[in-house]
Amino acid sequence: MGLFGIFLIYGLSLLVCKVFILRIYIYRLQTNAGALTNFEVLDFLRSRGASTDPTRVIASVAQSEFQVYDYLVQSAACNQTRESINEFLRCCEKFDLAKAEKINIINIRPASQVEIDPIIEDCEKRIHNDEVEDLVNMIVEVLPSSGKTGGTDEETVEAVADQEPMEVVLPPEGKPGGTDEETKETVAGQDPIDTI
Amino acid sequence: MFFLSLIKHTLRLPPHLLNLPLDQAIKGELETLFLDKVIANLGLCVSVYDIRNIDGGFIFPGDGASTFTVNFRLIMFRPFVGEVLSGEVEESDAKGLRLSLGFFKDITLPAHLLPNPSKFGEDGKWTWDFNGTELPIEKEDEIRFKVNSIRYPPIPVEQEKDAKPFAPMVITASIDFDGLGPISCVYANVTTNTSNEHLFSLEGESFGFFDGVTLSKACKC
Repeated sequence: MGLFGIFLIYGLSLLVCKVFILRIYIYRLQTNAGALTNFEVLDFLRSRGASTDPTRVIASVAQSEFQVYDYLVQSAACNQTRESINEFLRCCEKFDLAKAEKINIINIRPASQVEIDPIIEDCEKRIHNDEVEDLVNMIVEVLPSSGKTGGTDEETVEAVADQEPMEVVLPPEGKPGGTDEETKETVAGQDPIDTI
Repeated sequence: MFFLSLIKHTLRLPPHLLNLPLDQAIKGELETLFLDKVIANLGLCVSVYDIRNIDGGFIFPGDGASTFTVNFRLIMFRPFVGEVLSGEVEESDAKGLRLSLGFFKDITLPAHLLPNPSKFGEDGKWTWDFNGTELPIEKEDEIRFKVNSIRYPPIPVEQEKDAKPFAPMVITASIDFDGLGPISCVYANVTTNTSNEHLFSLEGESFGFFDGVTLSKACKC
């Protein structure tokens, strides 16, 4: 009985060590001080020194942060730039999307209408079919692809050739710091996210 | 997927860190304390974003360490309900699937949130029966899923010996919509009337964009 008791405590302490919950009291000043796109988190980790080559062991980035970095590098955020995201936010003003949908689109980068369907709520009622096509074409043009989903980009590029070409606008200069304020500025005034 | 949270915390700085510059020492302590841990209703802490304010520096009687009150921002992983994410299949059994994002592995996909005519095969793989064509969900597929709910179960007081390690944050996912599921099969994912979880009604409507879609577009299904 005693032996079993000791084993149980040992097993429990192993489990507790692996997954440790904070029992201390922290004071939450702001639960949501701004949403970050995957690109901003990736940029932040890169500025701390995370990278995919072997020099990563010297960087002051923790192991768990590297796991997040590895996930983000093989997502659609790896090739994005601040200018492309700013331009995307500017171009999608006429579509009347909610802030959550814009963040979702930037993170996933849907390249066809079927991929946009789960992202936009009530897609049928809010946006007509040809406008959805416009949106998809704009996404494919403005946001760089991650180069993973083959065959989709050629499909939509052919459709773009039949339509009016988009006006080429010089992207604004990217600010060096203050990442989350930037996103807040450009999406301010939109519907608040009521899914949270 | 990621949010910033502003947090105020009273931190005790151990004396052996006195030779480091203050903000470095405090950042190190915060990282040891918060990194890769789940805070209830805030999510999984990914990183310390910045330190806003450091106050205090009091030394309490009988203690060798100084105590600071720090305002700082953390990057929290907390997807909102309805967000579309993409991850990999990690485990698959009769009750459903378990997906992982690399840094977060507690995403469950219960059987009732798979597209309707799905069945579990003897080889341990789920297969979606779409209009007669079988689309299996392989182990290393990249899957697009929608977040259904996020739970923070309370810490158990006791656990049996071989229970699964306790998961402080569990995300329930669903792929019962258009455009979700394994990426290779997304293009075969044409709307049908079988699922009752679609956001919009389908009776009698034809989607001009999809009329000509043949299943040969899906590359490996």
